[in-house]
Amino acid sequence: MQGASSGIGYGLKYQARCISDVKADTDHTTFLAGTLSLKEENEVHLIRLSSSGTELFCEGLFSHPNEIWDLVSCPFDQRIFSTVYSNGETYGAAIWQIPELYGELNSPQLEKITSLDGHAGKIKCILWWPSGRHDKLISIDEENLYLWSLDASKKTAQIQSQDSAGMPHKISGGAWDPHDVNSVAATFESSLQLWDVRAMGKTISIECSHVRSVDYHPKRKHVLVTAEHESGIHIWDLRKPKVPIQELPGHTHWTWIVKCNPEYDGVILSAGTDSTVNLWLVSLGNDDVSTESQTESPTHWVDPLINTYSDYEDSIYGLTWSSREPWIFASLSYDGRVVVESVKPFISKK
Amino acid sequence: MMVADEVPLDDKAKRMRDLLSSFYSPESAMSTGTDSAKHASPDDINSNSFDPDHYMNLMVHKSNLEGLLQRHVEMAAEIKNLDTDLQMLVYENYNKFISATDTIKRMKSNISGMETNMEQLLEKIMSVQSRSDSVNTSLFDKREHIEKLHRTCNLLRKVQFIYDLPDRLNKCIKSEAYADAVRFYTGAMPILMAYGDSSFRDCKLASEEAMATIVKNLQGKLFSDSESIQKRAEAAVLLKQLEYPVDNLKAKLLEKLDQSLKDIQLKPEEIKDVSVDLTPSDSAHEASINEFVEAVRAFRVIFPDSEEQLVTLAKDLVTKLVSMKSFFIYRVSLLSFSWYANFFMFARNFAIAEEYVQTRVCAADLLGVLRVIWNDVLLLDEVLQEAALSNHSLEAAKAVVMSYIKSAFSHLLQDISDSLLKVLKKDGMGEYSLEVALDASTKAVLQGGMNILQEFRKLLDHNSGILVRLRELTIDFVQEGIQDFFRQLEDHFLRFSGRNNSSAFKDHGLVEGAQGDKAFAGLVLVLAQLSAFIEQTVIPKITEEIATSFTGGSVRGYEYGPAFVPGEICRKFRSAGEKFLHLYVNVRTQRISFLLKKRFSTPNWVKHKEPREVHMFVDLFLQELEAIGTEVKQTLPQGKRKHRRTDSNGSTASSRRNPLREEKLNRSNTQKARSQLLETHLAKLFKQKVEIFTKVEYTQESVVTTIVKLSLKSLQEFVRLQTFNRSGFQQVQLDIQFLRIPLREIVEDEAAIDFLLDEVIVATAERCLDPIPLEPPILDKLIQAKLAKSKEQNAIPS
Repeated sequence: MQGASSGIGYGLKYQARCISDVKADTDHTTFLAGTLSLKEENEVHLIRLSSSGTELFCEGLFSHPNEIWDLVSCPFDQRIFSTVYSNGETYGAAIWQIPELYGELNSPQLEKITSLDGHAGKIKCILWWPSGRHDKLISIDEENLYLWSLDASKKTAQIQSQDSAGMPHKISGGAWDPHDVNSVAATFESSLQLWDVRAMGKTISIECSHVRSVDYHPKRKHVLVTAEHESGIHIWDLRKPKVPIQELPGHTHWTWIVKCNPEYDGVILSAGTDSTVNLWLVSLGNDDVSTESQTESPTHWVDPLINTYSDYEDSIYGLTWSSREPWIFASLSYDGRVVVESVKPFISKK
Repeated sequence: MMVADEVPLDDKAKRMRDLLSSFYSPESAMSTGTDSAKHASPDDINSNSFDPDHYMNLMVHKSNLEGLLQRHVEMAAEIKNLDTDLQMLVYENYNKFISATDTIKRMKSNISGMETNMEQLLEKIMSVQSRSDSVNTSLFDKREHIEKLHRTCNLLRKVQFIYDLPDRLNKCIKSEAYADAVRFYTGAMPILMAYGDSSFRDCKLASEEAMATIVKNLQGKLFSDSESIQKRAEAAVLLKQLEYPVDNLKAKLLEKLDQSLKDIQLKPEEIKDVSVDLTPSDSAHEASINEFVEAVRAFRVIFPDSEEQLVTLAKDLVTKLVSMKSFFIYRVSLLSFSWYANFFMFARNFAIAEEYVQTRVCAADLLGVLRVIWNDVLLLDEVLQEAALSNHSLEAAKAVVMSYIKSAFSHLLQDISDSLLKVLKKDGMGEYSLEVALDASTKAVLQGGMNILQEFRKLLDHNSGILVRLRELTIDFVQEGIQDFFRQLEDHFLRFSGRNNSSAFKDHGLVEGAQGDKAFAGLVLVLAQLSAFIEQTVIPKITEEIATSFTGGSVRGYEYGPAFVPGEICRKFRSAGEKFLHLYVNVRTQRISFLLKKRFSTPNWVKHKEPREVHMFVDLFLQELEAIGTEVKQTLPQGKRKHRRTDSNGSTASSRRNPLREEKLNRSNTQKARSQLLETHLAKLFKQKVEIFTKVEYTQESVVTTIVKLSLKSLQEFVRLQTFNRSGFQQVQLDIQFLRIPLREIVEDEAAIDFLLDEVIVATAERCLDPIPLEPPILDKLIQAKLAKSKEQNAIPS
């Protein structure tokens, strides 16, 4: 819109918070974004990057009954996604399917596969296991953690097990370990808590304040990244939960979301309420041993911040890498603008 | 005419030369010929490659008849000339040849008579030789006889000497001519050794007896103090010649030396006295040193040959002993090896000096001590040059100066951190003013730094020998010291902030941690300002001081550059200062953020009741800001307050913004949320983007403004996470409206604050199911009520 920008823009009609990469679509680079409007009819946009990579166009537009607080595309079926929604007072979560003949319809309705009822508090997010086909789902609200067993064909979802946080603080979000189907991380006000899904019991706890977002390193087991409101970004090794392996300064205001690149090691993206997206390059060392030496000898220290994208008008809450073209990411600022950028010029440098 | 004449003349001379040379040496003529052929063409008459036909052709072509005729005449003349030249040459050479033949003839006739003369000479020489041989053989027998007789005579004389030896020795003892006696005795020694058991037994016993008395006498002489050193030395030498075990003697003498050494203990109290009056000449110390020097001198004279080995040993000992510090070790060593006591004493003296340095000393005291020691060393150095005592003591002095500089800096560091940590310590007893802490610590840094440099300058200005030699080293030490000092100071600072950092984070969520948290924030702020102060004031001053009095330390070598790099230090402190400032802002913002979070995540905003008064979180918020304000005022300088809306862009932006906002709010009554959003976007498009996140500066306003901005942004973000009913929206509207005035007063960038406050209201409206704002009169009334109430509350405690 204004200023020279390398990014490709796409406007949603309303304010929006969440965008998700459609991982199961292997033919196109596609994203799903949901709007957050209290009073208007909300929409889910299926946005596709043209094959030339220069244009974003709307592949599908579906109305959604309530404002969307969380949206995740199913990692193994491109037509399925989950949302967390709210009508202002109560929260709900549901699994949706994009109708098969949506191309022909004007404003097609989404098919609701099932809704995940049973939550009492504010639902925070729904997690799919990111690494492949898995019939389990996890939903997290402020106090509880539910494990669902989903049968898409029968359109049913049943609670398998459930555990309450049992903490003075509320859960703010979570992530499912891509290396271990039984391990889930949830973020709290003052800590990061890991659950073993089989026994539904807590395992490791990491002390860190105001965690807002957490993401597992897609290649390295035990490594995860957290974004914290005031104190920036921390990278942890779960085997050494006392001190972070590395710290990044984060954003001028809150760091809202952090995402590890699915392909390139050490490439981390963060977005914040200061209306910027920061691209970090972190050297995590080649081996577990060398990570240790890395922290001990920061002699050839280089600035990990490689680029700042600041062409936004409002706080950025939605951020995702494309898994098909891992050098591309999509960001969504609160004013409903989707911006797709390529980090290729920065990655090729290394 | 002249020119025309010259050229043929030249030609002629050249030709002559060529001809002559070709006559005498055909090769060179050839070579010159070929040489000239290279340059000359066939028409050159002088060259070898001259081609007459060609020349003729050329002449015919080139010249007219007259020219040809003229040339003909010329050539005829030349040819004639050449003929005469040749004739002359032949004649001359012929003459020479004739004279040479004559000479050879004469030589032949001279040589013919020589041979007969030579034969006669040889004959004569042969006869001389035969005669001399016959004389030699006839005299041989007589000569041998004479030699035999002479040997016998010598032997007899020796026997006579040995028989006389005891008498002679006794005579020598009587006349105290010990030197002669020893000489006689040592001369007779080999014979006595060989035949002492048989024929000369009596003689040997008698002379040994005499020698015993001599040795006794010599020993007595050696130990008697009344004898002159010269005589004692002679006695020692004689004793040694007699192969008498001298080591025992040495040991005995050393004991004496040791006695005198014990009198020369340099006591710290004495040093103090010395340093106080600075005229140590009258002290007992000086006297005893002199005495000792005398003794050593004597000793050295007495035992001149043992010196080398002793010196090498002594050097080892000195280096070893320099590191020793206590009196105790001194005593033990004294017992074990007293000869080295003199060296040891110096080591010990330096040890004392070093010890002395450990406690705080001023440069003057140190100088006094060093001077005394140096004087002593010089005295001893005269006596024992080989020991290179001065070098060793120079090393020791170097170490002392170094440790002095080091300890001075570490004391300063201690002072500074003490004054800083008072901020934390006084926490329990009540408010410790940050201002005082900052004052104290800046003073500590600046004054302390300057004082230290002054002291060091005294070291440099002093003219005593040892320090002059150490001058360059001292400069280097000082520079390195300063560099190290600032590095450590920065480290210290970072540690202060780091150590409390984790605990501060931990405490953050807890109420009881608030107090410590607050003090920590203060400390961080003081550190920030202190770092800035060091960077901007202290470093330049110190750099100046160093430039005027501490330059020229060239020992380090140029490739390393000077040890003190103010640029690097400045950079470090600048970044540290910024870090601290950010940390302060962060800590403070976190507290506020926590407060806001409590406020916005706790109540159910959808079921909010109608606003009756301004919510109390506003008070807490303002209190926090006030606390920050006082902290900041105590430490940071006041910035230039930006004039109200001097920025023309800002004013247009705000004037454009306000009506849009109000209009939008009004219209939101009509539930046109969608156009409202569009409106927001449009407004954003048209207005200037307000820079919310600007760089923090070292001014009161900048810090406060930054914190307020960050807090308001957080507020907006918290609001966005909630959903409001109409009353909730109105409550937020009321609170924000109330905040507007006090916030405007404390910040420097009103436009940004206004914008952020508006943003909060917009965000609330967006998240509101039914955004109908309060009517302005009601808003006003509620605010007035709140103001009145807070006034009342303020009145009661005061």
